[in-house]
This record gives sequence, C-alpha cells and structure tokens, in this order.
Amino acid sequence: MWAYIVRRVLATIPVMAVVALFVFSLLYLAPGDPAAVIAGDQATPDDVERIRASLGLDRPYLVRFGAWVWDILRGDLGTSIFTNLPVSHMIAQRIEPTLSLMIVTLILAVSIAVPMGVVAAWKQGTTIDRLVMAFAVLGFSVPVFVVGYVLAYIFALELDWLPVQGYTPFSQGFFPWMENLILPSVALGGVYIALIARITRATMLEVLSQDYIRTARAKGAGQRSILFLHALKNAAVPIVTIIGIGIALLIGGAVVTESVFAIPGLGRLTVDAILRRDYPVIQGVVLLFSFVYVLVNLVIDLLYTLFDPRIRY
Amino acid sequence: MERRSFLQAGAIAAAATTGLAGPALSQGAAARTLRFVPQANLANFDPVWGTQFVVRNAAMLVWDTLYGIDSSFTPRRQMIESEEVSSDGLTWNFQLREGLRWHDNEPVRAQDCVVSLTRWMVRDGMGQMLRAITDELVQTGDRTFRWRLRQPYPKMLLALGKNNTPIAFMMPERVARTDPFQQIAEFVGSGPMRFNRSEWVPGARATWSRFEPYVARSEPASWLSGGKRMLVDRVEWIIQPDPATASAALQSGEVDWWEQPLNDLVPVMRRNRNIRLDVADPLGNVGCLRFNHLHPPFNDPRARQAIAWMVNQPDFMRSVVGSDDSLWQRMGGFFTPGTPNYTEAGGEILTAPRDAAMARRLLQESGYSGQPVTMLVAQDLAPLSAMGQVANAMMRSIGLNVDFVATDWGTVGARRASREPRERGGWNIFFTWFAGADCTNPASYLGLRAHGDQAWFGWPNDPAVEAGRDKWFAATTPVEEKAACEEINRAATVSMPFAPTGFYKGYQAWRSNVTGITSGPLPWFWGVSKS
Amino acid sequence: MSAASLPAGLVIPPDLAIAPPTQDILSNVTPKRGFVGYLRRYPMIGFGGGLLLVMLFVAIFAPFLGTKDPTALAPALRTREPGAEFWFGSDMLGRDVYSRVLYGARVSLLVGFSVAFFASAIGLTIGLISGFNRFADSIIMRVMDGMMSIPPILLAIALMALTRGSVQNVILAITIAEVPRVSRLVRGVVLSLREQPYVEAAVASGTRTPTIIFRHILPNTLAPLTVQATFICAAAMITEAILSFIGAGTPPTIPSWGNIMAEGRALWQVKPYIVFFPAIFLSITVLAVNLLGDGLRDSIDPRLATKL
Repeated sequence: MWAYIVRRVLATIPVMAVVALFVFSLLYLAPGDPAAVIAGDQATPDDVERIRASLGLDRPYLVRFGAWVWDILRGDLGTSIFTNLPVSHMIAQRIEPTLSLMIVTLILAVSIAVPMGVVAAWKQGTTIDRLVMAFAVLGFSVPVFVVGYVLAYIFALELDWLPVQGYTPFSQGFFPWMENLILPSVALGGVYIALIARITRATMLEVLSQDYIRTARAKGAGQRSILFLHALKNAAVPIVTIIGIGIALLIGGAVVTESVFAIPGLGRLTVDAILRRDYPVIQGVVLLFSFVYVLVNLVIDLLYTLFDPRIRY
Repeated sequence: MERRSFLQAGAIAAAATTGLAGPALSQGAAARTLRFVPQANLANFDPVWGTQFVVRNAAMLVWDTLYGIDSSFTPRRQMIESEEVSSDGLTWNFQLREGLRWHDNEPVRAQDCVVSLTRWMVRDGMGQMLRAITDELVQTGDRTFRWRLRQPYPKMLLALGKNNTPIAFMMPERVARTDPFQQIAEFVGSGPMRFNRSEWVPGARATWSRFEPYVARSEPASWLSGGKRMLVDRVEWIIQPDPATASAALQSGEVDWWEQPLNDLVPVMRRNRNIRLDVADPLGNVGCLRFNHLHPPFNDPRARQAIAWMVNQPDFMRSVVGSDDSLWQRMGGFFTPGTPNYTEAGGEILTAPRDAAMARRLLQESGYSGQPVTMLVAQDLAPLSAMGQVANAMMRSIGLNVDFVATDWGTVGARRASREPRERGGWNIFFTWFAGADCTNPASYLGLRAHGDQAWFGWPNDPAVEAGRDKWFAATTPVEEKAACEEINRAATVSMPFAPTGFYKGYQAWRSNVTGITSGPLPWFWGVSKS
Repeated sequence: MSAASLPAGLVIPPDLAIAPPTQDILSNVTPKRGFVGYLRRYPMIGFGGGLLLVMLFVAIFAPFLGTKDPTALAPALRTREPGAEFWFGSDMLGRDVYSRVLYGARVSLLVGFSVAFFASAIGLTIGLISGFNRFADSIIMRVMDGMMSIPPILLAIALMALTRGSVQNVILAITIAEVPRVSRLVRGVVLSLREQPYVEAAVASGTRTPTIIFRHILPNTLAPLTVQATFICAAAMITEAILSFIGAGTPPTIPSWGNIMAEGRALWQVKPYIVFFPAIFLSITVLAVNLLGDGLRDSIDPRLATKL
C-alpha cells in the first residue's frame, strides 16, 4: 500500500512537468509582456527595454524556463511583477476564501445531492423521481452567474437576510464567515448537485437490483439499513469519482462566483494576473492548481480502498 | 446600521480578508471607517512607477506634495512654507514647513525632497523638461533647498503641484533612491494617512489609518491645496469586480462611497432614500479615437479628416454614458469644455452636420483602396468596447475594410507601442480616453503632442501644433495662453492627431450618512465624515 | 379454442377433452417497432431531440424570423423595454435583443457541436492509441492528466490574449479542455474490450490490429462516445457563456448567448431582459441536449449511467 502511494506521488512529477512546460510556453508565446504596460505613456523604447531587462524578460526561452524551475525546486515561486510581493505570499492571502468556498460548496452539494439521488432511486418511476431528476438537469443548464445574480437579488437585496458580497475570515467567527459563503456556495453548487444526484441515482439503481440486496431484504433488514448500510456503501465508488472530477469544474466556476460576489480568492487573482501578464503569479497559481488536482485524485483513489475492499493496490 | 440577520454576531462583515487576521471592528469603530469602491483594481502602489489614476488616488492618502493646485488650477503651497525666485527666473529657493513628519516619525528633510524630485523628473513630462534645463538641485539646510536652472521655467509651481500623473510626491530619501523604473518597497510618506501594509490584499482590499501627527494647513481644503483634515479614523478600499454587485452593496450599506457607478444603475440608486448622487468631476473625460500616423491609410491627413467628418459624437457618447444626455457634450476642439482654454476655432469638422459624402471623397483622395484597417478594441473596459463597436459600424458605412481585433487592455497597451505595419503586428486605430483635467492646457496633454517619433502612441507629426505649444509655455498672461491654444486647435483640427469622440462626465454615489464629499478630478478623502 | 374455431377437416378422437373457451388474460402486445416505437420507449430522446431541432431551425432560419441586422447600432434607442419595436427590448448600444438572441443561436450551437465533434474525434484517436500501445499509454495518460489540471478558463483567456477573441479560439480552448476526459473514456472501453473472448479469438487467429480496431473495438466505443458527446456539447455551451462573462469569449460583433448576457449583466437589476432572454434560450438548449444524452444512454445501456 505504501509502495503504491510512493509510486503515485512520484508519478505526479512528470505530470507537473508537463503542466509547467505547457503554461510557461503559452505565456512565452503570448504577445504583450508587462514591460510596455509598466513603462507607461511617457517612456521611450529604451526605457521599455530597460524594464524588460530588469524583469529578466529578454533572456532566451530555455534560460528563463530553467531559472524558473530551479527556483521552484528551491521553494521560491517568484515575485509578482505588479505588486512586488512574493507570489507565495499573495497565494497565501487568497487561499482561505477559495478553500472555504470550495469546501462549503462540496459539503452542501454532497449533503443535498446524495439524499436526492437515493430518494430518486428508491422511488424510481414516480413523480418524485422525475421531479428530482428534472431539478438536477436544470442545475447545470443555467449559467452560474445568472443563478448568483438572482440569489443575491432575492436574499441579499430584497430580503436583506444575507450580505450581498465579500468574505469574512473564519477567525472572525463562524456565523459571519458562513453568512458570506451561503449564497456563493448555493450558486456554485448547482452544477455539482446536479451531477452528483444523477450519478447517485443511477448507481443506486444498479446496486438495488443486485442479489445481495434481495438477500438482505429476505433476511428482514429494514428499509433504511438496506439503503444506507448495504447499497450506499457499494455505490460510493462512482460517487466519489464524480466528486473528484467535479473539483476541476469547481475551480472554473469559482472564478465566476468570486467575481460576482467580490470574494478575494485565487480565481480572481489568476484572471487579474492573466489580464495584466503578471507571469510569476500566473505560473505559480496554475502550478498550484495542478498540484491540488493531482493530489485530490490520489486521495480519491485511496478512498476507494475504504469503500471497496476488493480494490487493493 | 441597517437591519441585519439574526446570524450576525456583532462583528461587522469585513468586505475582504487577509490570510492573516484582520481587525475585528466594534460598532463604534465602524462609524469611523469609510468604505470606498475605487474605479479600478489597485495592484501596485508606487505613484511614480505606475501612472494609472487609481494608483495616484490611493497615493494621495499616503504622500504629500510641495504644492497643490486648487479648484482654479492655481498652485498653492502645501509642504512648502515659502519660496523665492531670482529676478532672472533661473534660481529657485524653497523652504519647507515646520513639524512635517514621515510616518515612521522621522522629520521631513530637504534632502528627502531633493531625491524625490530627482526620481520624479525621470518619469514625468514636465519633470523631463525641467531635468533637461537643471543645473543644480541641492539641499541648502535642514528645511531648505535650491534649484538652479539654465533657462527660466515659469510653470515650475504648476509642475510641482499639478494633479496629472505622475504627481511630484515627496518620499523619504531611502525610498526615493529606488530606480524610477522599479517599484518602491515601502509605502512611507508624510501624508494624512498611514498605509496598513499588513492588511493589504492586492487586487481585493487596501486600508489606511489616520496619521495623528499630521499637521494640516490652516487654509480650507480645495483640491490638492489647503488643510487635509481627516475626519474618519480608517479608510478602506474594497475592489468590486462586478458593477451590479457594487450597486447592491451600496444599496444595502455594505460600502459607503462608490467612485464610478455605472450610469445605467443611477436611476435605481436615485430612488433609494439612503443614497446621494452628484457629478464626480466637472472636468469629465475626453473620448479618443487614436490614429497611427506612421502607416497607411492614416498617414494621410485626408483619411483622418474623413473619419473626423464621420464621428457622430452623440452616438459615441450615448454608447459610453448611457441615456442621460446631461452627462455628455459635443466638443468642437481638443481642450476640455467649460475651461478657459476651450475653443472651437477650426472645429467645424467636429461640430457641423455629419457629411458622409465628404468623408468618402476625402478617403478616396487619400488613396485608400480597400486595404484592411486594424482596429484594437479592449473588451474588458466597457467604454472602449462600446466606442469600438460604434466606430466599427461607422467606418464600414463609408467603405473601410475594418479588421476588428477584440482583445484585452493589456494586449492593447503592449501592441500600441509597435511601430510596425499592421501585417507585422502593428495597428491602425485604438481607443482610449483622457481625463478632462489633463486636457485643460498643453502642459500634460499627451494626446496633443505632435513631435513625431517622441510623441505618444500614434506618433503624430505636426510642427504647427508644437509651435503653438511652445508659445503657450512662453506665455505670461491668460490672454496669450488662450491665443496659443486657439492656434493649437486650428492646427490640430487639420492634422487630427486623434479624433475626439466627445466630452462626458460621470456620477459618484454615497450613502446619506456620509458628508463632506466634493467633486474634483480625484476623490478627496479629507473633510469626509460619517455619522 | 371453441369447437367452431377448429380447422376444417380435422378428425377428433371421441374421448379427447377440449378445454372451454377462456378469455385472454393478457392483452395483445403490440411491439413498438420502428423509429416511432423507439421514441415512445425513450421519450427523453424525442423531447430533447425535438427541442434541439427547434433551436436548430431558429438558428438556420434566423434571417426570416422577423429579425433585423444583429449588429446594427442605434445608441439613441438604447435600453428600450420589450415592446412593439424591439420584441425582446434593445441593449446598451441600441441593438435589437431579439435579433441578437436568434442569431446568437448560431454561434452557441456551432460552439457546442464543434467542440463535441472535435473533442470526440481527437479523444477517440488518442484513446485508441493509448489503449493498444502500452508505451504510448503511459506517456499519453500523464500528458492528459496534466492537461486536465489546467482550468479551461485560463487557457481560453491566454488564447484570446495570444491572438484575438474569436469563435475559433473559443472552440479550440474548450476542445483542449474536454479531450482528456474523452480519451480516458475511450481508453477504458478499449482496455475492457481487449479482454473479451471474441477479441482474443481475433488476435489468436492472426487478425491484424487495424482490422481488430475497426471491426471490433470501434463500433463498441461509438455508443458511449455519442452519449458523452452530447454532454460535452451542453457543457461547451455553458463554458462559452462563462468565457464571455470574463471577457474572453467571442467578440461583440458576433452575438452569442454568452456575450449578450455578459454585456448586459451590469444592468440586470434595471433591464433584466437583456440577460433573461438569452439565459432562457441557453437553458432550454442545454436542457434539451442533456435530455437527449440521457435518453440515448438509457436506450443503449442504462448501466452506463453510473459512468457518464
């Protein structure tokens, strides 16, 4: 088992290398480095060249790439061109909001969607089933920002139950923190809920038709214990898989949600950095995303062993 | 406070966070905190290195200037106690006020000012003029310094006190020693507020706290001059990427002051009893359709005039400003309407009824035969996107083959610097706007410089405009200045360094419990209080 | 069988008992045959497909459905409420929202179908190669993992900054983001099919690999691939809207549902119709495509629902 983990962790290195190469090359090719923007309106071409040299942007591709990789290996993600702050510091400032948003969305989505899927499977073919599934499909048919606007309008502006925008750090109290996260999580979670509910229902249907369920029922096991003890545990593998796939979706959706609700998270940081060509920040954040994604996949693969003893590495 | 939900646990919902704990504010402290939504993202902070307006506006809180213009554009003393100029105009002696302190409690010395000015001169237009004629700039005592020139420079005080970027802010010597093309590392100044570096989340939130030892002047405050008295303890800037959310935040009381509300949202805010609105800056903005004078077709003045004959300012203005016609005005010249130098001399091309036939004829005469015209349009800035689309329709209607390049402002900013022809990554047209405060006279009017290779992007070349500008700099009376501007206008309406698309203003909006907000080219935070 | 229904000429032995007539307990089963029968068994295909066809019709015949030029500006007539002159109202530059929404169908559908097609084609190729060639598999899967971990939004913005905003760049960016998932799916199918007896038999009898691929493997991948393609189509249309929201979508001179919403989003509190109408059309289309996909999947193999 440990050998498997070590092998998997080592295997992330080539993946990260691919990502690093890809992102770096893309940025290298993109026209309009920040030197011209920084130089401002009054600068001469010589000034622009000076700035470019001081940022190290005039060195050849391999030298720049090599220097960056060497820095990464030493734990230095570089310094932002526009704020002069270390990239790691900027990321550290913005991690909490994005992480909070993703975790709350995840918990919300799973706790709504899994029961939804189970109920739909249990009542297969009835109106409830159809309603639940229709609602689920609706979840990923409406763009996130439309949902966000409508929610903000109703609950924040008209009813004044929740704040319109912003983020309160957890250190300032659980309830203020939660208040700011409810609307964004619901908006972002819609897609997720839809996905998880559908997969849960389908998996439960398949599992419920298996022989061992019939056996359990014949032995007199109650409704609830059948559903949760036997069925759900076996359905867990695909459900957990979809949760993992959904994390990539979340990152994309988080960018939009952070813009609509003015949450100072990593999504906005990345978009701002791209539009300004703040290379060190872009490279640092994308690398971080990739690393997290790969890590999540590893955790999910390990979780499989918990749910399905037949899976062994 | 407005009614809030039962979940609220006494802490005011701070609008953004740091990874480190931010201060938890009590109800009382909240009343002394002003929450402001700026016009754009505030990333960097160095007002000499970064010349965006939002940087300047933030810098005004932290740093102070030797002089400052008042609402009539007259430079008045700020950090300076007295100045003396020799009879031949070549030697200036300055003396600083007593009791000026930096935020680290060190006293302000003349040497700090000398080094700050040296750094500023490299990046600023008027500063560069001064640099070329400077013989010596040295401290002569703890609070005095001397500036000796090789030629007289009557606009010296204006240069030191103007509001156009980069402003001549005074910084401690160690900070001002930074290369002008690199960012400063510390934000220490002598202004009325201290920057809270530890709470700064670039791109999301910035806060300042009142600097108690600041000694304000006794005169009433007017723009950059007079006593900058802070009546709130803290100022928080909260970046709002989404205008609809910003509007909702102002309506629900989560922010106090919005610098540039979207004009279409103004009616909603007017209906709200708790929100006040007023024109933010009577000097407004000048929309600009900028030509590339180096390459065809716009290297021929007739092609540029053809476009000018087609520019329908009402269309451009409504697309930028919205349905409120009181916010915009037609321009018959290049200077800011409503200011002394505004003139319509030679401006029929801009004000007469639009003449498509004339435009087509001029275009043909210039030799245009259907080549593509590359137009850079930034999608992430709404006014520019709007102007680009209006221009696109207008140019197609007279037969121009427009290559509409939809991109972002960062790319436009970089690509406009290219002097290559359009096939090799160059451009023919891009859009921008100038602050009206920068267009009141030729001093800081970037768009109007026409000295060819050294000019701003577009590189217009018109000796007549430059001659007029020289006359303005040499002028000693307002009458002479106006005459020089008329000369410039007449020349510019023929050579068209750019086509003005109109003059427009915007509103600012604030909660009714905030008082003391005035209009001006930047938001003034002194004199503003909250109840 | 009653006595009267016996065939003529049949000799009945005298002591043979004949059962009394009974009525049919089970009514006749009319097999649902043909295309119509197929649709009746899987109504979601009909419903979703039908809606999609309506949208296609709207997109193709947009010029004849009472529309004006979608790029015709009239700033003097901006932000008018829906009424006689502008059926869905006018936007911030005075353009007719109704016309833009109908023409926008073209772009959104084009993006959806193109991404679905290209992602499927490329993913299929990669998945097949990966499934058959061990060495290529390890390299390819690492590359795919890497690509999956780059958020597509960043890719799209970067592409737009590289050149310009255009429909092609949007399609390219979303396709690149979807290819890894398709290739994974195909690879999974290929790997499981390789273990099947008939494939082993084919290999044992000396059939060459290309023939194996085309005759045995490919037809079995097409079914899940088609279903996946419909979901990709739906996701691509939503992603296009999100890209426009950030400003990296199609240029405003080419209306798409995404960029109509993006341009009007700041005004949605005062003029909600600018966002509302394209949102409805987008939601209906995405819903239709999803239902179509669900129906197809159920008709091919309901157990696929656990994987797709």
